[in-house]
Amino acid sequence: MSKITIPLGPQHPALKEPGNFMLVLEGEQIVGATVRLGYNHRGIEKACEDRSFIQNLYLIERVCGICSHSHTTCFCMATEDAAKIEVPKRAQAIRVLVGELERVHSHLLWLGVAGHEIGFDTLFMYAWKDREQVLDCLEMISGNRVHYALNTIGGVRRDITLEQKAEILKRMDILEERTQYYIQLATQEPTVLARARGVGHLPTEEAKKRGAVGPTARASNVPFDVRKDDPYLIYNELDFKVITSDSCDVFGRLVVRVFELLESFKLIRQVLNNLPEGPISVKVPRKLPAGEGVGHYEAPRGEDIHYVRTNGTEKPERVKVRAPTLANFSSIAYMLEGGYLADVPIVIAAIDPCFSCTDRALSISTSTEGGYSLSWEDLRKMGIEFYRSRGLDFSRIAK
Amino acid sequence: MTEGRTEEVIKEKLEGRFGTNLSNWTIQRKGRLYVELPREVLVEVVQFAKEELGFDHLSTITGLDAGEHLELIYHLFAKGMLLNLKTKLPLSDPKVKTITQLFPGAEPYERELEDMLGATVEGLPPGRHYPLPEDFPPGQHPLRKGWKVSDAYPQEV
Repeated sequence: MSKITIPLGPQHPALKEPGNFMLVLEGEQIVGATVRLGYNHRGIEKACEDRSFIQNLYLIERVCGICSHSHTTCFCMATEDAAKIEVPKRAQAIRVLVGELERVHSHLLWLGVAGHEIGFDTLFMYAWKDREQVLDCLEMISGNRVHYALNTIGGVRRDITLEQKAEILKRMDILEERTQYYIQLATQEPTVLARARGVGHLPTEEAKKRGAVGPTARASNVPFDVRKDDPYLIYNELDFKVITSDSCDVFGRLVVRVFELLESFKLIRQVLNNLPEGPISVKVPRKLPAGEGVGHYEAPRGEDIHYVRTNGTEKPERVKVRAPTLANFSSIAYMLEGGYLADVPIVIAAIDPCFSCTDRALSISTSTEGGYSLSWEDLRKMGIEFYRSRGLDFSRIAK
Repeated sequence: MTEGRTEEVIKEKLEGRFGTNLSNWTIQRKGRLYVELPREVLVEVVQFAKEELGFDHLSTITGLDAGEHLELIYHLFAKGMLLNLKTKLPLSDPKVKTITQLFPGAEPYERELEDMLGATVEGLPPGRHYPLPEDFPPGQHPLRKGWKVSDAYPQEV
């Protein structure tokens, strides 16, 4: 059979982020694959050199919409190392708390996407409905669903109240019950098994060689988790397990993530029930002394590493960010080869490449006007009007 | 292999093998070790660290424009320890050898050094740019301190 090369992406309906995959096909089977990235390069590292540390926090937060807290924590830890700043215990605990809440929201998001990619949209709806529980917790703590802006150099910006603690604990119980259902579904449901078992195979040796990180590595039986292997914040005082799977395929990646949800609930309860007393931040000068530091963090997708060099001014000399997805892309080409064209979306989605989601109705309040809120209906009308004024009439089809 | 290892032990072993080639040791804190070395021994040191000392994960490579030279930092990881190997490349001859034979995952990091800083990584398999687009003006490297957006996109400023 003759070979044919088809490009998948950069823009395509199967995945939500721009990436290009050149697939060499023999019939339906993939015999070669190359990955091309860089379409989303925004020059954030360069932009960091022109901004103060405080401004950079908000820029770094926007490296990723889903793991925003991971990136700011990593950046803060690197900067605090460089400037020899000691962060109060309570602030460290709150960073861990939000980090784990973020992991729960990210893994549930992934579970939904994975369901969608294998044509199991009920799972997608269920997972995303449950994800609202944790997003509400994050909104309650920080005032926002994805960009929490919780970190600052030297600590965190918001404290946890007793009411918030009770509410989060209540919602974790609900989520734990739902997660038990997902575990049952992931390990027993015939559709999931048929689409996930043996697909996107990545043997342990290959995962190690290619530097895979996070759930992708752990599903190939590489027990690499920065929280255990290079403990930061208060992780060395907390009790949790590193989840691995030896099935080395999409099924393993699914199992690792759903069981990691349980570990995250465990961590969240431990942190909330033993929250240390004390201040939540220390005062840090605007100009930081010259130095360098490396932040090392286990983001929901895997190892995140930031390098920060300070030079005695209020701006950094260099900020380097390596997000986990880049480390995992090397494994993708391997996973795709030998597989089938129809499995490409789920294989790529199984490393959980990052994309942003902030779509919702919003409520705006200002101190002078008292505030107003938009219902879903109003927002819809506003959208229709917006396009009508630009010559597009959706009113007939958007009933 | 990874148990009971301290920063001092790693330092001793590396010094025992490479001696005076290694300079400016810094043990910043637990698990953070920095050392400088000339580019000629870089591949050898990386190989020794990987095969003899258990640093079997390359976290990333940082590059930066330090004025008179480019500085590269190879962040190697083993349980509990980040070993940061620093090397300098003169701007007039910014060449360094690839480590992709040891860490295949290093490829995007090395391409980034070429694109963003203008280093030349010898032995890197032929391939496309990363992360800059194919039509980016040749000879321009955004992470060089003097580079401005208007150099590449005059119409946008």
